[in-house]
Amino acid sequence: MPLQSVKLSIKLIFWLFLFGSTLNHSLAEPPVLGKLYVGKASADITPELPVALMGQFYLRIAEQVDTPLLANVLAISTLEQEKEISSVIFVACDLIFVPDILREELVTALKGAAPEIDSNRVILTATHTHTAPVLEDDPERSSFIYPIPKEEVVPVKAYRELFVRQVVPAIKEAYANMQPAKVSWATQRTAIGHNRRVSYADGTTQMYGNAAKDNFRELEGYEDHDLQSLFFWNAKGELIAICALVACPAQVLEHLSSVNADYWHHVREKAKAKFGEQVLVLGWIGASGDLSPRPIYRKKASERMLKLSGYTLEEAIAEKVVSTLSTSLETVKKDTYESLALAHSLVPLSLTKRKIKEDEYLEAKTNVENLEKEMSEKPETTANLYARKTWNASVVERYKEQQAGSQNGFESFMHIVRLGDIAICTNQFELFTDYGIQIQARSPALQTFVIQVAGSGSYLPTITAIDRGGYSAVIQSSVVGAEGGQELVNETVNRINAFWDGE
Amino acid sequence: MNNPLITTVLSCFLYSSFAFGQSAPLAIGWANVDITPDKPVLLAGQFYARVSEGVMDPITATALAISTRNDGGAEENIIMISVDVVGISDGMRDGANLRDATRKLVIEALPELSPEKIIINATHTHAAPLVASLKPIEEIYGFPMEQLSPDKEVMPPADYLEELSETLAKAAIEAWQNKKPSGISFGLSHAVVGRNRLQAKNEGNSTMYGNTNDPNFSHIEGYEDHALNLIFTWNKEEELKGILINIPAPSQVSEHSFELSADFWHETRIRIKKEFGEQVHLFPQVSAAGDLSPHVMIDGKAEERMQRLMGWEELGTGRNSMAQRHQIANRITEGIASIFPVMQKNIDFAPVVLHQAKVLELPRRLLGEEDVKTAQQEAKEWGEKYQAVKDLLIDDPEMIHNPRWYRDATTSFSRMRRGTVVEERYELEKTNPTLPVEIHALRIGEIAMVTNPFELYLDYGMRMKARSPAVQTFVAQLTGAGSYLPTRRSIAGGAYGAVPASTLIGPEGGDMLVEESLNLIHTLFDKNE
Repeated sequence: MPLQSVKLSIKLIFWLFLFGSTLNHSLAEPPVLGKLYVGKASADITPELPVALMGQFYLRIAEQVDTPLLANVLAISTLEQEKEISSVIFVACDLIFVPDILREELVTALKGAAPEIDSNRVILTATHTHTAPVLEDDPERSSFIYPIPKEEVVPVKAYRELFVRQVVPAIKEAYANMQPAKVSWATQRTAIGHNRRVSYADGTTQMYGNAAKDNFRELEGYEDHDLQSLFFWNAKGELIAICALVACPAQVLEHLSSVNADYWHHVREKAKAKFGEQVLVLGWIGASGDLSPRPIYRKKASERMLKLSGYTLEEAIAEKVVSTLSTSLETVKKDTYESLALAHSLVPLSLTKRKIKEDEYLEAKTNVENLEKEMSEKPETTANLYARKTWNASVVERYKEQQAGSQNGFESFMHIVRLGDIAICTNQFELFTDYGIQIQARSPALQTFVIQVAGSGSYLPTITAIDRGGYSAVIQSSVVGAEGGQELVNETVNRINAFWDGE
Repeated sequence: MNNPLITTVLSCFLYSSFAFGQSAPLAIGWANVDITPDKPVLLAGQFYARVSEGVMDPITATALAISTRNDGGAEENIIMISVDVVGISDGMRDGANLRDATRKLVIEALPELSPEKIIINATHTHAAPLVASLKPIEEIYGFPMEQLSPDKEVMPPADYLEELSETLAKAAIEAWQNKKPSGISFGLSHAVVGRNRLQAKNEGNSTMYGNTNDPNFSHIEGYEDHALNLIFTWNKEEELKGILINIPAPSQVSEHSFELSADFWHETRIRIKKEFGEQVHLFPQVSAAGDLSPHVMIDGKAEERMQRLMGWEELGTGRNSMAQRHQIANRITEGIASIFPVMQKNIDFAPVVLHQAKVLELPRRLLGEEDVKTAQQEAKEWGEKYQAVKDLLIDDPEMIHNPRWYRDATTSFSRMRRGTVVEERYELEKTNPTLPVEIHALRIGEIAMVTNPFELYLDYGMRMKARSPAVQTFVAQLTGAGSYLPTRRSIAGGAYGAVPASTLIGPEGGDMLVEESLNLIHTLFDKNE
């Protein structure tokens, strides 16, 4: 998925709006033992039709809903003598990402509807499905704008309103129905994500490149095959919720022109069948900016196995996820915690921006001109080319800012949560696997859940990827480069360390 | 072949027998033998010597005989043997040749077979007897056997090698004689077992088994492959008789053990038999995995907790633990079980079986004067340490009765030798720039299997699989003596496994191996498609 480039001035206003009164919140609250309470709810965020879908350069208008889209909400708090010590609310959404404008609108509505809830503690995450609605239409705030017909298609703003209308009550419900609970955590190794960056003998990389070429040399990066999970039980001992982190974006069906929650729909259905109708599944995506669910090589063998098993790829992934969760559940169900430390911090970040080289600027500028010319000469190509034009145009704008001497950092944020022995950290990026691995390797927590795309999505490639190029590593794909990536890792680790200070 | 260099340097012996088209019914036979020595032996796999101190679990060998008559009348007969040892000596080094000794014995008993039809691979357990050298022990470890083991008689490697070749031949003959009409099915599943063991630092250099909990840790150097390539064999009543498991993970969880062990294959055999029946044979193969090992590089604490909660605490948990072996056995078994119903329904009783073997003349990794100087320096430093222990022995000859007294001393000697060998290779390359290497390609129906003698870095195997015309391609490493074959990126990183002292062949040879392996596979597929 392409980046979201947000104009600094607008973004600063947003940050003041969102965090201005609560910057102290970024200071790590001490992890204090408390009794665990958990509440859950689910919001149906399936759009009205027809609706424009986000995730490809070309415009797709969905006129069909294959599966519902959900935003599943889990409210967690710890209490001591009936007084809340800490709390956090996770909202796992079947969306491509969570743009700033969507968050702003949700926060505004939530503050009005439920002032008792600290909106800074609401953590919105996305599964990165490419078959969910377009969420942004303001060219001042996004680099990826589609030429959506104004009349026949559900307006982008109308979908955001639906999202807010559905999710705010769910957050309220989950927060209100928190009950005493127990939790445990697990990790199991299972192979799901595939590195999609194919490197060749000449030192270049191509995303989804052809590995069957003679000059194929290696897959550029690593994969993370830990399937990490959290299990929650109510006071009666019934399993009520599972948070599952898979380092693989939900984009098996990324080219469809219908509404679809991708493999998470099947995970939810199979989990209900296996663990009970009452079980709510929150799907989290681990750092996997360079991964996808589709195999890059060994395709014939994989396709044959799917054919023989009668599964689609998304069903096969779901089967693997639920089977792994089942093993995890059996393993950890006797190691549960009802009194534990919960702590949360919301950390504003200012990351070094990736410097745009002159040739990159010139190439983007030429691309814009060529695309404008083509669309002018052949208006019928606009649906396919327009987003590509805005994608390139954002580089031109960024370069102008850079040349004007604007050296401000890229404003971002992350949530850090400690829950017992585990850490959960978020970031807004399509974060390349290596960064997630670094965070996990250096974290003092027993397990560290690195959740990506918990904000406006944008690739954050490694230095190797930037050197080798290819979509997802080119300048159009990322505002933050390897330097900023390392800053993100270091700051995440520092903030996690603060929650384990002295242990 | 696109590369003119490859064309010019290649000289090969090509021996093949195949015919194309539909085949007559397949016949398959299995045999399994215990190869655990009944006396102490020297264990192979570490720089330091290890005189075995008992048996943790039996080491075994499994033979799989395959025979068919292809359309056109030509017979195709193959015997594959999987052995719980670190490598299969093949005459390339130090005079030992387990492969040819075994072949000779089999051919004497089964003249209808030719030597190249017998393919022997190692599981790479690091807790099995040394079969790589016939040299005197003092030349291998720097001290005579009487000093390494003054109180216990140790079976010399040459004796064990002879005994092993006889046992392997016996297994091969038994498998051959056990052949019955059979079918096969094949499938792809997944099990996370092998982990890339090379850590790249921010400065660009890599280390094997480095610390990932370090601000300088940048990334894991290479890729991992968690595929479980499987072949199931069935009798005519469609009862499962055996499973060939090809997995990119050498069996070296217990690599520091002083007791004999088949490593995680032992637990896997037990789990498989429990799950699928006592009659089921298991044939392990290691896919290209020179840069992989079963050791966990990240999240070790979390994995250890899971092992504890799974009930293996008393066995020991964490790195090098029995719990890890059980965990791996579980993953492999679950991976097999997940596709088993589909495999039961897709049995082919008359697949085409074709085989070709070839001896490649691979270009040696060219060493420079700097490589020699570095190695000489290392050899000098280790030599001084070795000599210090030798001097100590003169003052205190009784120290040889201390348990494992020789561990550090033999490490020093081995590392000294490692350095001096670089110099020897440098001289050798001037007159002998290539190394003969035997590879095999086997087609069974839609499957291709291709072998090599190396600890082949994963990327090479991936290239073969990505470009192979087969529906599913099995790459089997260590069908010979074994030597790391690193990639360019790994040589740039400079970790153990990629340095000159660890490698006979470099990326140029690796590229040629890929091309030649694919060429061989194509000869088995293209004309028949």
